Amino acid sequence: MEQLLEIINPHFLLRNALYAGLIVGFVCPQVGIFFVLRRMILLGIALPQVSNAGIAFAFLLHTIGFHFLPHMESEKLMGLTGAVVFTCVAIFILAILERKRKGFTENRIGFIYALAGATSILFVSWNPYGQTEVLSVLKGEIVSIPDMYLWSMLAIYGTIFLCLVGFHRNFVLVSYDTDTAVTLGKNVILWDILLYLIIGVIISFGVMTVGPLVIFGFLLIPAITARMVTRGIVPLCIVSSIIGVIASFIGFYISYRFDLPTGPTDVALLCVILVLLYLGKILIRFKR
Amino acid sequence: MMTDDCITLKDVAIGYGGHPILNDINFSLKAGEFTVLFGPNGSGKTTLFKTILRIIPPIHGTIVYSNGSLPRFGYVPQRQSLDEIYPFTAGEVVLMGTFGQAKPFCPTPKTDRIWVEHCLKDVGMLELKKQLFSELSGGQKQRILIARALATRPNVLLLDEPITGIDFAAQKMIMELISQLHKEHHLTIVMVTHEIYSIPKWTDKIIWINNNKIVLGNTIEMLSIIENQ
Repeated sequence: MEQLLEIINPHFLLRNALYAGLIVGFVCPQVGIFFVLRRMILLGIALPQVSNAGIAFAFLLHTIGFHFLPHMESEKLMGLTGAVVFTCVAIFILAILERKRKGFTENRIGFIYALAGATSILFVSWNPYGQTEVLSVLKGEIVSIPDMYLWSMLAIYGTIFLCLVGFHRNFVLVSYDTDTAVTLGKNVILWDILLYLIIGVIISFGVMTVGPLVIFGFLLIPAITARMVTRGIVPLCIVSSIIGVIASFIGFYISYRFDLPTGPTDVALLCVILVLLYLGKILIRFKR
Repeated sequence: MMTDDCITLKDVAIGYGGHPILNDINFSLKAGEFTVLFGPNGSGKTTLFKTILRIIPPIHGTIVYSNGSLPRFGYVPQRQSLDEIYPFTAGEVVLMGTFGQAKPFCPTPKTDRIWVEHCLKDVGMLELKKQLFSELSGGQKQRILIARALATRPNVLLLDEPITGIDFAAQKMIMELISQLHKEHHLTIVMVTHEIYSIPKWTDKIIWINNNKIVLGNTIEMLSIIENQ
């Protein structure tokens, strides 16, 4: 209880980490819904890995003397740029190949995942000074988040959330029934590009802040869980964000209370929620 | 009421990636006419249908729409093409028909919700509007998709294999519903089918795709030609 009161205190030392987790927990499931419904879950595994490779590459460049800014913040900014560029390039290549129906989707994503995983490790191993930083990103250590970073995260994720809500009908229609979307005068390519861009930005920024495991977990597990227990697209959107926020808050509390890494604790908790709801659903069906 | 040409195809070639599968397509669909697009599987019916809908661009030739502007299409796709992973209720599926006019960042207007209920009532599915679309039977899904097409307030209703894969009683019900909509709403209707027995004699015209050629004529005449093949 003492720790809980400490956490909700506005002067709590690690408050930025808590707020970042809550933002991720609230917004990521909204994007994750499209991953689940468009059957792109594998992409949800591969893209955070690609983003990670981008961060590792940017840190390597930083170490060998390529800087955007003269002070320490340059490293994080470069990391973010690397993540955005790598993720967006990967997602657009995959989208073009998907549209041209070249080969199998799973093969392409598997290849990208393997390539990104291997190159991230190589970039880190070539960069002894950046190892600690990149490894903490990989582990999902959401501890030290500067104010400026939190505000940018709020601005970016807030904008993405507004886009998803404001253009919800277009994204849903284009994802569900492309042909009908065309007959209703929708520019399918434009909406697909916007959705991919949102996915690219949310993953790159999220990986840089909370790590690939956390992003993957919050993208997919709340959406999968909510789909299991809701009827209708609007309840799905609302419930998935509620699950994300609850898991993020309780996960943070558990990790603080028992001195565990926050990211893996959050994801493990999401899995527990999924399993419990699944068992509950079976039980209700059994009783009927 | 068959008066003006609603859609006219002039020397159209259709296909994918620049490879034509049907050439020299010339015909007109008149306003208020019920046309059946008939042919075996793989003959190019759906491609022609999607070309009329502007989902696929023609390889060459022109498609002229009456008054020079695109009519409002009510499109009923093959229900198997819709992924059941989406947890839409029947009402949400029908509501999609109003998305053409939907403004971003605005909630769904009350008038649209009332209109959706009206369309659901038209197809006899109002009481199932909160049911998950994926849990409905084939015939019920087809009615919901017709309601969605009606929700677009269409001038032209296009149905892709609306009775394929459903039981005989449901087929009969769907055909009666389409006939009723044709009469009541004076809609121009184009229906794709590969099953000759499903073509009602009261339809106006059959476009038959046979051996990469298009043959067309009035229904009675065409049915006897097709049956004698």
